[in-house]
Amino acid sequence: MTAGPLLELAGVSKRFGSIIVADSLSLVVRGGDAVGMVGPNGAGKTSLFSLISGDLSPNSGEVHFEGRAVTRLDSAQRCRLGIARTYQVPRSFEHMTVFENVLVAAYRGAGLRGHAASSLAAGVLDEADLRKQANSPASRLGLVQRKRLELARALGCKPRLLLLDEVAAGLTEPEVAGLVEVIERIRARGVAVIWVEHVVRALVGMVDRLICLAGGRIIGDGEPLAVLASPAVKDVFLGTSYGEASQT
Amino acid sequence: MVWVNAIVQGILLGGLYALFACGLSLMFGVMRVVNLAHGDLAVLAAYLALAVITGLHVPVLWSALVVAPLFGVVGYAVQRFVIQRSLDVSPLTTLLVTFGLSIVIQNVLLEGVSANSRSLPTGWLASASFQVNSQLSIAYESVIVFSVAVVVLSSLQLFLSRARLGRQVRAAADDLEAASIVGVNVRHVYGIAAAIAFATVALAGVAFGMYSSFDPAAGPQRLIFAFEAVVIGGVGSLWGTLLGGMILGVAQVLGAQVDSSFGVLAGHLVFLVLLALRPNGLIPARLA
Repeated sequence: MTAGPLLELAGVSKRFGSIIVADSLSLVVRGGDAVGMVGPNGAGKTSLFSLISGDLSPNSGEVHFEGRAVTRLDSAQRCRLGIARTYQVPRSFEHMTVFENVLVAAYRGAGLRGHAASSLAAGVLDEADLRKQANSPASRLGLVQRKRLELARALGCKPRLLLLDEVAAGLTEPEVAGLVEVIERIRARGVAVIWVEHVVRALVGMVDRLICLAGGRIIGDGEPLAVLASPAVKDVFLGTSYGEASQT
Repeated sequence: MVWVNAIVQGILLGGLYALFACGLSLMFGVMRVVNLAHGDLAVLAAYLALAVITGLHVPVLWSALVVAPLFGVVGYAVQRFVIQRSLDVSPLTTLLVTFGLSIVIQNVLLEGVSANSRSLPTGWLASASFQVNSQLSIAYESVIVFSVAVVVLSSLQLFLSRARLGRQVRAAADDLEAASIVGVNVRHVYGIAAAIAFATVALAGVAFGMYSSFDPAAGPQRLIFAFEAVVIGGVGSLWGTLLGGMILGVAQVLGAQVDSSFGVLAGHLVFLVLLALRPNGLIPARLA
């Protein structure tokens, strides 16, 4: 189990009508990797997450996790194998408490019962700094806390691969810093992370590999600063000749 | 005193309506399925109870212990193999499928047991009652049905709010995809919700059969009572459904005091008034 790659995508394609969101994508992620992912809007970042997590199934290609073909498995089965994700727009269980949101993940994602599930959920809430809100309904949380809950709920699944979809978007600088700290700790436990983010600064400081997606293809993959400096990536982000130095 | 009597009887009847309606509320609240066969399932359960009573020579209350679990299993299977498939197509398809189910049940019953109306033999329970005072007497039968309703609704509430599986039911009700992404087997959870709905409607069907006669075409009329109880109380709220059932029951019994044929209409009128004043129900939607 330790030798092979954690996640392997081989020639994964996905179309919606004439729109191609994944164009024969191949990708290998090893255990403990921290991978950042950038790309313009519509590049297929969220779709790629959905293909990995099982929210979407590909038109062609294979997804392997820990050497096992998971292409035909649904998102619940993949979650139990160790793939967890967050949604860009938080999708908390609104009518449940914050604690229960994570508890459900601990029940099925991590496969725990009773006290073991409760203590995992409590620990994860501590980690995500949501202890105080544990017993309030998720519907009462603000945006920052909802983002933290997304993260906490994914951690409640005890994943070996964590897919983070713009967890830092819309947060202030200090909030992003706090979040990065949490993610660093998760990484330190050996959880592999793939992190999609528009806030490139937050990414570059943390990941040791950066992938740039555009039009459903990988146009850059490697050391973060090198990828950002590559002409193909510059093209996409800044326009060929006189784009503004915007980060998105 | 006549009025006090009517209110007490109405509340007791309301328990039955709530027991009957909670499955409808659960299936709508969890999987957004409006089960148009709900009333027919209650009638089917009554016929099955009749078969159990005459076949095994057991009292009516025991028959419920056979019919309810059986219905639970059937409910799980119907959800997984029939309703889920229509859900996968579109939410509207479930309306067609459950409507079809309703027609099938009615016609199979008509073919199998004839159109004659039947009732469940309740033995000594039929006339047993206790006298509160000279003008107020309460039938044991109504008290038993009411107690069963309260116990079932409370247990269901407890199950949804505390149990491992109950929390998964609520998560799936809130956000299907998000539930799946944290490992919840949504189809199984839907099956469980349907099993509970079918088991409770079976209990209600047996209780209906004790109170009044039934025939293969009695389902749709009862379905309306369930809808009214659910809507009055607030969709997705179990305590709301209990309250809604009681209000409907009291309205019907009070209406019948004025004129015996006015009872059902009085229930409908109260429903319409409440629908106009509180369209979200008395206890607004909340599945917990």
